[in-house]
Amino acid sequence: MSAYLGQIRAIVWKDLLLELRTRERVVAMGAFAVLAAVLFNYSIDRTVVQPQDIGAGLIWMTIVFGGLLGVGRTFHLEAEDGAFRGVLMSPVPKDAVFLGKMLSNFVLLYVVSLLVVAVFMLFFGMELGTSPAVLGLVLALGALGFVALGTLFAAVSAGTRMGETLLPILIFPVLIPMVVYGAGATGRLLAGRPVSEVVGNIRMLAAFALMAVAVGAVLFRFVVED
Amino acid sequence: MSGKGIRSTGTALAVLGLVGMLLVYSLSFFWVATDRLQGVSQRIFYIHVPAAWTCFLAFGIAALTSGMYLWLRDERLDRAAVCAAEGGMIFGAIMLTTGPLWGAIAWNTYWNWEPRLVLTLLLWFIFLGYFMVRTSTEDPEKGKRFAAVVAIVGALLIPLIHLSVTWFRDVPQFLHPQPVVVKPEGPTLDGDMLTVLLTSLGVFTTLFFGLFLLRYALETLRAEVQARAREATA
Repeated sequence: MSAYLGQIRAIVWKDLLLELRTRERVVAMGAFAVLAAVLFNYSIDRTVVQPQDIGAGLIWMTIVFGGLLGVGRTFHLEAEDGAFRGVLMSPVPKDAVFLGKMLSNFVLLYVVSLLVVAVFMLFFGMELGTSPAVLGLVLALGALGFVALGTLFAAVSAGTRMGETLLPILIFPVLIPMVVYGAGATGRLLAGRPVSEVVGNIRMLAAFALMAVAVGAVLFRFVVED
Repeated sequence: MSGKGIRSTGTALAVLGLVGMLLVYSLSFFWVATDRLQGVSQRIFYIHVPAAWTCFLAFGIAALTSGMYLWLRDERLDRAAVCAAEGGMIFGAIMLTTGPLWGAIAWNTYWNWEPRLVLTLLLWFIFLGYFMVRTSTEDPEKGKRFAAVVAIVGALLIPLIHLSVTWFRDVPQFLHPQPVVVKPEGPTLDGDMLTVLLTSLGVFTTLFFGLFLLRYALETLRAEVQARAREATA
């Protein structure tokens, strides 16, 4: 068991170190988040609707699209010189490779999610609500479900001619629970409603994340086998 | 069954289905009585419901055979999966076009976010992804594996997706009609209407299996052609 965890840790560490050195994906996703918020500002007519009213939805859509941008490139990091083949040939179970890739994507997306919320607060004067820790948990569970499916489908789309173009078509239909429960909970928390109102959402988000991780870990080996 | 046997069975079932379709149309337009409350628009029910049933049956077969393909790696299972999935796309398209046409009259809107509508729309798009993945890989073996993975993810997550859209706060006030046939207390549908519906269900299912077998025979021939072409170049 500890050997297994060590293998996962090695992959997470390798990916995060690579990201820390190049800063490619995190800069792209961060810039996307800020610029999307700027575009949203000009897409909203304030005589019709206030940004705060649709803030939770916009936050989640920004996370989803920004996430696609970063997660879609998970396997491009190692595309050169057949580096990923090396990872697959190492004596590490395929599900450990998946979990490692997924966790490093999670760290990346979670950082970006927090940035998205901060940017929306800054730009639109949104309040954080009374329970920021619970909001942090909602974002974490949502991001976990997203990266689990995202990492699996990124491996699929990286193996096709269409590449990342295919990713939204594969992932959006199965992402509905994350958006329903995540954006629902975020909206209520930002509006200052009590935590008891979102407990159901958090449970369902956790169930979704758990299922997504399990599905990804089991099916990943069929995607990368050669 | 031999290749020829599959082809002739498929042709027989497809012809039977097409002839049966004429019967279904004449029964539903000229024989069965007009619904007292809904009027003529209710007649679309005899196409919509069987198409929906066939679509779910086909996608179910596709998901099941996809899973078995990843497990057993038998080419025949993958062939069955792709042929069933194609049937599901066609009958799904029939369901998704007849539904809104009826809705436009009964609900005064083409679309609402009732969970059953969302479920079928998402299933249709999941299998669109199935075909896009399949056709955009250089290596056909890879495409088969990828497509099977897409089908299985969809099949495993669909219950949770359905639960989440049911839970969503904006479930509309015009609900999709409830079942009128498969109920614990027995069918509440009028006798003649039930006859037409069951006939239509039988005809749609027959037509689906006819098309399925024909497509399956075609896929087998294609695989054979490719194998021979490889032999010739080698």
